[in-house]
Amino acid sequence: MEWFRSFINSIQETFAGFDGNYLIFATMIIRYILPVLAVIIVMRCIKSLLREKSEGEIWAQLQMENGTFIDLNYWENAIGRSRASDIYVDFPTVSRKHAAVIRDDKGNWQIYDIQSKKGVLVNGVRVKDEAGLEIKTGDIIDLGGITFVFIAADRTDEYEQAVSRTKPGKLFKQHITLAYLTMFQMLLAAQFYVSQGSSASLLIPFYFIALSMLMWACFFANRVLGRVAFEIETIGFFLTTIGMSVASTSVPSELVKYLIFIILGICFYYSMGWFLRDLDRIKKFRRPIAIIGPLMLVFTRLFGERVHGAIRWINIPGIGITFQPSEFVKIAVIFAGAATLERLFARRNLFAFIGLMGACMGLLALMTDFGSALIFFVVFLVIAFLRSGDFATIFLSIAGAGFAGLVALSSMPHIAGRFATWGRAWEFADTRGWQQTRAMSAAASGGLFGIGAGNGWFNRIFAADSDLVFGVVSEELGLLLALIMVSAIVILALYSIHASSSARSSFYTIAACATAAVMVFQMMLNVLGSMDILPFTGVTFPFVSMGGTSLVASWGMLAFFKAVDTRQNASFAVKMPKRPTRAGGGAIIYKGQEYIPDDVPQDTIKLDPKYWESDKD
Amino acid sequence: MYRVSRRTLSMFFLIAVAVFGMGFYVVRYFVYGTSWATAPFNATVFHEGVLISGRVTDRNNVVLADVTDGKRTFAESSDVRRAVLHAVGDREGNIGTGALRVYASELIGYNPLTGAFSVTGSVGNTINLTIDSRLHVEALKALDGRRGVVMVSNYETGELLCMVSSPTFDPNTPPVIVDDEVGVYLNRALQAAYAPGSIYKVVTAAAAIENITDIHSRTFNCTGELVLGDDIVTCPSVHGSIDFERGMRVSCNIVYSNLALELGADVLADYADKFGLSGRTTVGGITTASGNFEKAPPGTADLAWSGIGQYTNMVNPASMLRFIGAIANEGTAMELSLLKRSGLTSILPSSSTRLMPRSTAVELSNILEIQNRQNFPGLQIHAKSGTAQVGGDKAPHAWYVGYITNPGHPYAFVVIIEHGGGGTANAAPVANRVLQVALK
Repeated sequence: MEWFRSFINSIQETFAGFDGNYLIFATMIIRYILPVLAVIIVMRCIKSLLREKSEGEIWAQLQMENGTFIDLNYWENAIGRSRASDIYVDFPTVSRKHAAVIRDDKGNWQIYDIQSKKGVLVNGVRVKDEAGLEIKTGDIIDLGGITFVFIAADRTDEYEQAVSRTKPGKLFKQHITLAYLTMFQMLLAAQFYVSQGSSASLLIPFYFIALSMLMWACFFANRVLGRVAFEIETIGFFLTTIGMSVASTSVPSELVKYLIFIILGICFYYSMGWFLRDLDRIKKFRRPIAIIGPLMLVFTRLFGERVHGAIRWINIPGIGITFQPSEFVKIAVIFAGAATLERLFARRNLFAFIGLMGACMGLLALMTDFGSALIFFVVFLVIAFLRSGDFATIFLSIAGAGFAGLVALSSMPHIAGRFATWGRAWEFADTRGWQQTRAMSAAASGGLFGIGAGNGWFNRIFAADSDLVFGVVSEELGLLLALIMVSAIVILALYSIHASSSARSSFYTIAACATAAVMVFQMMLNVLGSMDILPFTGVTFPFVSMGGTSLVASWGMLAFFKAVDTRQNASFAVKMPKRPTRAGGGAIIYKGQEYIPDDVPQDTIKLDPKYWESDKD
Repeated sequence: MYRVSRRTLSMFFLIAVAVFGMGFYVVRYFVYGTSWATAPFNATVFHEGVLISGRVTDRNNVVLADVTDGKRTFAESSDVRRAVLHAVGDREGNIGTGALRVYASELIGYNPLTGAFSVTGSVGNTINLTIDSRLHVEALKALDGRRGVVMVSNYETGELLCMVSSPTFDPNTPPVIVDDEVGVYLNRALQAAYAPGSIYKVVTAAAAIENITDIHSRTFNCTGELVLGDDIVTCPSVHGSIDFERGMRVSCNIVYSNLALELGADVLADYADKFGLSGRTTVGGITTASGNFEKAPPGTADLAWSGIGQYTNMVNPASMLRFIGAIANEGTAMELSLLKRSGLTSILPSSSTRLMPRSTAVELSNILEIQNRQNFPGLQIHAKSGTAQVGGDKAPHAWYVGYITNPGHPYAFVVIIEHGGGGTANAAPVANRVLQVALK
């Protein structure tokens, strides 16, 4: 209770200590306002992401012999006697994993025989294993004696569906959340301005204003594209704002570079989002991307610089910029690992993925980049489990990795050293525990509200602004804000689970979850490593740690979350229907709807261009 | 899709691990935050390892340590600086028990909620110690260069008024000490234990009062020595026929040897333990050095010696002060404190422990009363001297422990002079000089 007593004492001092300097007094108050704003921002984002109504999409229907209709809610639908199937058919002649019905980007449907005993017949023609067979509305599908009539949604259905579904932003106005974030940024800028004392310049506030403007520009760009959701971006910008605060305190002279990297990151984000829109394009490029990943690592191994024991960096000559390829290889691996449904069932594909991951982790081990190797391993585990659902594989992998880890420990003294210090940093405060003990001291020194942006000393410690960034944030902005920063990452992970059930393709689901796993795991290694709860591995905190590559890659990965957001008009990374060519009718029969003959005149539907996309794409 | 999306629930496991890890960190933050923030490399409050935050004053607001222009400064007077050194500490942090180190977090004003900054964003707190620098200066003068300890406490509140450890130095001109054999950096009051000698008879007396029913009607015969097997316990004088009470006043070894033999090692050890003399105590949150009481075999001279504070007995001065104060305070020992309490917290009672029933305390108080007060003008003093043999040809340690009952001045005291000779002749005058200042 000693600290509670001193807390009471310090409150008594609050008014006694006021010396008439309004500027200092104001920034002192800012320390308490910032966490409140951060809580509001993050809470609004999470509520908006998880609470807003999102009706499922209907992409096709199967009409059974008794006349009932079964909705296909995804682009990829598994049919079988297993309860884990999207279409669960409880009939003895149907196999557990019988068939997959899959829509491509243009609206064409294929049916695949996955692992059926009796085979799949379309209009009496047997579907061969791998190739699949195109199906159209009216086709009769026979699965082990059970027949269905296939009905695909046409453009009119898709359009009507788009109009009837709820758009996000009804409960939580996105621009209000953004206004809170703007306030957060401006207060932070003000605090920096005051903390510089008599030599104050407007340079740091200028960069915060620039970041704010960039954020609003993205918001309006989304609006122009007809997309209204901005929660994912808001979280990205919130974390980037904290990152900018770290940059301002630790490398104020490099803020220009930092801002450029933010812009590059946002460009990368939009490019990734655009790329992810088209599943056909993804399928086409997946193999090249999978090959480029390990090649980049080989290149780094050969031409990279050895910095503090690990070869991570490529120096781009002439412009003095170093570049960390493993950050991008992470994205490549997620691309290569996430798979569409028809590929999930072929073991050969999984083995190819295991080979790829093995190669990457082996290369990282050669580069003695232990932290990255660990992250790749987690990506591998998550993707392997999502694809196979097989716990045995996972346990075997962990055992294998544990063995490999032991070998690494015994062969690499600097890694063994880190393990030796683990949990005992204070005993080695002047040797191997140097960084962690300083980080803990700085974090404790900050208290719940921090000693104010720009007032800290910890940023002068080596790698404080990257591997130990949690210490900088805790010291200057306080434990509360540091925890909110952590929870922002956790929210992205929660959202990846939440949205996984509505994503159109398993590719998006797997990619989003793998990305979430990378971010949560990196966050954990960074925070708990710097605070001596896990071994200190020198991993970056997504968005917040200094390092251009890490920042750009974090923004790029954010696009994976955007690609699972199928709420109506929410995400630019998700396509909207094409302009309806034919009004009236529609093939899909909704629940409670009676069958209406296909002769409703064109002008009975008021067409709203907000709900379709131009045909150019 | 359903299959895959159901598998994504496994992500909850990762999230749970992360949340658990963060929770674990937050717990550690609240438990260890104070020690993390008070590490000497926390540049918000330290400069080159020196705490540059907070002011230390004595009970009369005399500044003992301060910060001026980002540098640690000490009291103006050299006498005060030397006298309070072990209570306040030095710049280099060599004095481990100094307030600058022990109360670093209070000086910083640290708490895990507001951190090293106060609510207003200022750094540094003032702490009021309970000590009185006047007593310190007088005690150090009275010790006159001899090594030893002078402690004074208020036995009703537990506040320490004086805690001088000698030898000492001026923190503004710290000596170069390569190998601290003498123990200059040692706060002897807290970090040392001494053979108690005759002062330990008070403990044996307490045990006798409570365990020997006819103790007051007993008489003993002192022939100057007591033969036990091959060993002899000696007494400085031949007292002849003598009772328990007079045995204390003239400090007769034979009376207390006999009592020790009768009570036995187990009872004596119980009392040493109960009175906190064989273990450790705490002073203002600092744990002291441990005392020692070893059980000797029955009927031996060792057992007899252990009842009169020799054999392998050791006592820490602060533990002794706590015990002697408890006798004055009708059997209740107050926990010794160094920080003055202020505001709301001063209303709460100090923590205390009952060491003995009130009746025992009153009886002890009666037999400890000094009737011949010519050496202690104006003091209603109860005390016991001790001359602890330390073996070899070294002079014995001189002890004088006790308390005064003057109205408004409930002070207990302990004086030790290492190898200072007889307790009454050497330690008592030091006690008198310090108490005279305390009464002013």
